[in-house]
Amino acid sequence: MEDQILALTAELAAVKSAAQVTNTMFAEAYYYLTIPLMVLIHAGFLLYEMGATRVKNVLSSGMKNLLAFAFTIVTFYLFGWWFYWALPTFPYDLASGAGYMEISGIAYASAIALPWGDSAQYMGPNMADHASGVFWGAFALFAATTASIASGALIERIQTVGFVICAIVLGSFAWVVAAAWGWHADGWLVTEFGFHDFGAAGLVHAVAGFFALGVLLNLGPRVGKFNADGSANHIAGHNMPLTVTGLMLIIVGFFGFLMACIILPGEGWSWYADQGTTIYGTPMTLSALGFNIALAASGGIIGAWIMTKDPFWMMSGCLAGIISVASGLDIYFGSTVIVIAMVAGMILKPCADWLEGFGIDDAVGAVTVHGTIGLFGVVVLGLLGSGAPGLGAFAPEDTVAISLFGQIVGAIVMFLLGFVPGYIVSWLVNKAGMLRIPDEVQIKGLDAVKVPARAYPESMVSPDSDS
Amino acid sequence: MGYFAESFAELYNADGWIDMGMYIGSGSSMPGWWTVIASVMLVVVLVKGNTDEQDQYK
Repeated sequence: MEDQILALTAELAAVKSAAQVTNTMFAEAYYYLTIPLMVLIHAGFLLYEMGATRVKNVLSSGMKNLLAFAFTIVTFYLFGWWFYWALPTFPYDLASGAGYMEISGIAYASAIALPWGDSAQYMGPNMADHASGVFWGAFALFAATTASIASGALIERIQTVGFVICAIVLGSFAWVVAAAWGWHADGWLVTEFGFHDFGAAGLVHAVAGFFALGVLLNLGPRVGKFNADGSANHIAGHNMPLTVTGLMLIIVGFFGFLMACIILPGEGWSWYADQGTTIYGTPMTLSALGFNIALAASGGIIGAWIMTKDPFWMMSGCLAGIISVASGLDIYFGSTVIVIAMVAGMILKPCADWLEGFGIDDAVGAVTVHGTIGLFGVVVLGLLGSGAPGLGAFAPEDTVAISLFGQIVGAIVMFLLGFVPGYIVSWLVNKAGMLRIPDEVQIKGLDAVKVPARAYPESMVSPDSDS
Repeated sequence: MGYFAESFAELYNADGWIDMGMYIGSGSSMPGWWTVIASVMLVVVLVKGNTDEQDQYK
């Protein structure tokens, strides 16, 4: 009898061990697969931007987008990842110490997120670490997404290296600070104001959108965009099908992006042994995303269609629909999502026209789609979700719940974290003569001057180019 | 700059599989030096890229 009990105990231990291995490998594979899905966002932005560009600038625009992707990911490895773990309690704690959950602060960040010293073991292949690389990879793709968002607004007149410097500041600093403050269980926006932004409407989209606005103010419009009396001309891209297809690819990538926002159960870093959660430890399932992303995308298309009848704005509406509900994808009912997303699709074009009225040439409407609609989404959650708990069961008892006030504070912070760094870095780059491409080069066409390749056969001549 | 193990046999023993880097140079100062080299290369590339770009606009 005793032997049988011992045998059964050993067998049970072996089964539990095997189950844990399966869970660990599943979690690793889950986050790993979000990375190529998010690369599709960049494939989409690449097509989108090149399609929205005139023939004479198409390769130059594509090259800029590729470099944003590359430099952001590399610099996010070198220092961006460290900021995310170091700054959640700053400036509430000027020394940036550990928060309540003890997964933040300078000491913690320096132990796990620097590519040198003892922490280097978590910044490269590690025998027993199945989490750091896949989490880092997902966050690196979030970072690259911010740079791609801003990239589209600036096409056809921003210098390449000047843009890369702006992209590094955005992707490896500005949005990372926003994430540390509002997308981390120790972040002060979360613990002090109950800020909730499950799908990063504020901390990715709004930050990137308003960063682009800050750059646009220093960069100025494309040659020919505005007339002497201030009226605007429409500068059509060379390939609308490319642009619309690119936008649809971005939507595909969004499924991976939002999937990566779920914390799986059963691991040392999980909130719970048996339940998936948001990054805040509140309840979340993939099924919730199944309902709400598809409905948001559809609602946005419908809302934009009724206002514009234009496929470009319909697909932009698709993005806007998802962004408008991203903050509350975990707690919105499906029909609520339809309403919010339709409204986002409807207000999109008027908001973009309003911005253009100030003489701002946002070539693809990025400030509006990501910035304005991102903030709209953050605030709408405050209107509809007030009172919902902001953190999971392991949070301190006095945790602040979601509120309209907290969401408005978060929206203001997100606006400032985008706009101020964008304005300052582009002002400095401009002072160094590295921001705006000379007007005569813009008129001639950037590809003829900067790119040793042709986008299309020689027989196809750009109607806009002098060459 | 060597690799941390000469054989994987011991690692597959019960207590051999531990939380540690398994890359070349693990446990030494080499990761830091590679990081310095990569950072310097990035800065040089940006400076060279900008110089080339400004020449294109002349």
